[in-house]
Amino acid sequence: MVDWLTMTIQMAALGMAGWCLVSTFRDQPMVVPHLVGVAVLWLLVIGQAVVSVVAIAGGDRPDQTAMFVSYLATVVLLPPACAVWGFMERSKWGPAVIAFACLVLPVLMVRLEQLWNPVV
Amino acid sequence: MSDATASADRTLRTGPGRLLVAVYGVFALAATARGGYQLATRFDEAPLAYGLSLLAGIIYLVAAVGLARAGRTSRGVAFVSCAVELVGVLTVGVTSLLAPGAFPDDTVWSNFGSGYLFVPLVLPVLGLWWILRVHRMDHR
Repeated sequence: MVDWLTMTIQMAALGMAGWCLVSTFRDQPMVVPHLVGVAVLWLLVIGQAVVSVVAIAGGDRPDQTAMFVSYLATVVLLPPACAVWGFMERSKWGPAVIAFACLVLPVLMVRLEQLWNPVV
Repeated sequence: MSDATASADRTLRTGPGRLLVAVYGVFALAATARGGYQLATRFDEAPLAYGLSLLAGIIYLVAAVGLARAGRTSRGVAFVSCAVELVGVLTVGVTSLLAPGAFPDDTVWSNFGSGYLFVPLVLPVLGLWWILRVHRMDHR
């Protein structure tokens, strides 16, 4: 886990969530810029996942490695899943689903940080 | 199946319904994984609390599938599981406040779901409201 990457992901996710909520209230369906935003977020998350997996493979692993990896997998799957949802729902509720996913993401990042660096 | 029923089925899983299915899916995953993991690794510490988390996760899963499939039967299934959730979160919430010893470790429903930003308390209410709304549209 790279701290600044976690921070960046959290800020980007919250920004995306705000933007998608605005789209929802303006009654707009998901558009291409939303998808680009989700894709950027996904790349950041994948970057964090790769760095973490390399660290784990190198021996720098958290106590609950299985738990950490399962959370990591969920975080990586979240952005594409919400993009698929946006495609299925061609109304304002598409961005609403993306907004929800982008609100869950920072929480999952906090949980990952806790597992990586448990505060005793 | 009449046209009215078909349109109601579409309605249940489109629009706000789609968001509900997504939220239910995430909570099903969170609660099932949490309960399953805790039961597998620390069964002795608090079997009731961990079992309850797992049960909550399964109910969320049933609700998510019921909302996503949205046939007449599925709607009934989703309605019942939302109702069970509401009863569960209220019962466990009150119990965890009055008798904290009953649950040594937190569950999804402890303190009315405060550990999950009270989403477990709000979610079944939204689910029931949505199903009833679609149900009424169906019978108009």
